[in-house]
Amino acid sequence: MMALMSLATALDQLSTFRTNNSRSSQETFKHASVIIKSSQKIGDDGWAVLEQLFLAAVDIGRLDVADECLKQLSTQFPDSPRVEVLTGIRMEATESPDVVLQYYNGLLEADSANAAVWKRKISVLRRTGKVEKAVEELSQLLDTIYTDVDGWLELADLYASCNQYTQALQALSHVLLLASQNPFYFQQYAETAYTAGDLPLALKYHLIVVDMCERDLDDIKTTPPTGLAVRAWMGVKLCARRIILHSPPSASGTAIPKSINVIEQLATERVLAAYSSSKRDKSAMNREVVVSWVGAR
Amino acid sequence: MVQYTVDPQAYFKVIFHAAKHPHLPVNGVLLGKEEGSTVSIVDAIPLLHHWTSLSPMMEIGLDLAGRHAESAGLSLVGYYQACERVEDKSLAPVGERVASKLQEGFKNTVAFVVDGEKMGSDEAALIPFLPQGTIWRPQSDQTAFSVGSSFQFTAKNVPQKALALVREEWRHEAFGDFDDHLEDVTIGKLFETIPQRLTLLQIG
Repeated sequence: MMALMSLATALDQLSTFRTNNSRSSQETFKHASVIIKSSQKIGDDGWAVLEQLFLAAVDIGRLDVADECLKQLSTQFPDSPRVEVLTGIRMEATESPDVVLQYYNGLLEADSANAAVWKRKISVLRRTGKVEKAVEELSQLLDTIYTDVDGWLELADLYASCNQYTQALQALSHVLLLASQNPFYFQQYAETAYTAGDLPLALKYHLIVVDMCERDLDDIKTTPPTGLAVRAWMGVKLCARRIILHSPPSASGTAIPKSINVIEQLATERVLAAYSSSKRDKSAMNREVVVSWVGAR
Repeated sequence: MVQYTVDPQAYFKVIFHAAKHPHLPVNGVLLGKEEGSTVSIVDAIPLLHHWTSLSPMMEIGLDLAGRHAESAGLSLVGYYQACERVEDKSLAPVGERVASKLQEGFKNTVAFVVDGEKMGSDEAALIPFLPQGTIWRPQSDQTAFSVGSSFQFTAKNVPQKALALVREEWRHEAFGDFDDHLEDVTIGKLFETIPQRLTLLQIG
């Protein structure tokens, strides 16, 4: 009975990892090994689990397990484009980048619409320092598949890593159009705008995040900010403080709100509120430092 | 030549941080003090793992860490980072910027890059970078943390112990940085200077 239960738990956990696209390789490896060892029939999920175990095994360096998974997958699905990508990933672990690129180019010649292969190729280019080429290929991919949010995020990250923050903002603006419900992306946009030196724009987007996180609060006075809202309020505080001190220009032409002083004051209150909740004893040590930060000029 | 000593808990924190996010770049700052020509690094404050090339949370993190250091009678004496790729051992542009900023407040600032290839071994997995003019260069004249090097641990077998804590006790799993802290302010007693439990009971 115990074995059965842990099998169900393991299957459930793995399915959650797949749905959330989380890369918890150690955990995945642990759970998937339980399932594979149990050698019970687990239906169609079995192949998905095997693929998951393969990726986790490559990630944590258990290539022996990875090879076994890949062998079974290739036997079951010969000529599957999905397995071809896995073969490429396995090659990436031990072959030189040139060999892997050659393999991916071959696959793309046969089927140029295989986005997964295209993305692997781009990741190899980036990994080997060919950033310009990676940007070029990724831009082409996004021309073809505009709705690829992960692709736009990767492009933004590529630009940011080369200090090209204006281009990073452009890439992120597509993400905001495609995934307009996710405050985390707005936060990334705000922080990119800050890094690009556009403080009024950064302030505006930090405030959008605050609004997305807190618009449903019944009483803002009694509910301290939690989760992403804390980060956003800290961003508001940082931007407002610098705007009041320097009244900086905005490359995007974003206006500085007239109520900037009130915004700054509110941000101070909200940041402090986050650190004075009932769990105070735990965060007391941090609180002192934060109080001194918000009070500084 | 300035000597640098690294306390186990500072090293452990750096290794936990890198081990928790193997596929992401991570960074943070090192706390310590200077006495004579020796810089003792006694603690680390882990900062970011979401995106290390954007600056606002780094700015806030540095500011908070600096205030904490001051209240504890310490200074920000160094920076550390780990790259998302095992073989990448260069100090990223953001690292150079942060390290140079720290240098304005502390002349003998050191920057460490985590050596992903050595993290799983008995050797110290830190590559020290020091400024030559305005450029940060790795100190490669002698293997850091070996006998006679100007970088030393304050205890024996520190890399082995760090590895054991990660592999056997999964200590990195419960480890939070400033990014985590911003998602839940009760996570990560970031500014707790020396976690005694870590050094006395577990390492022994």
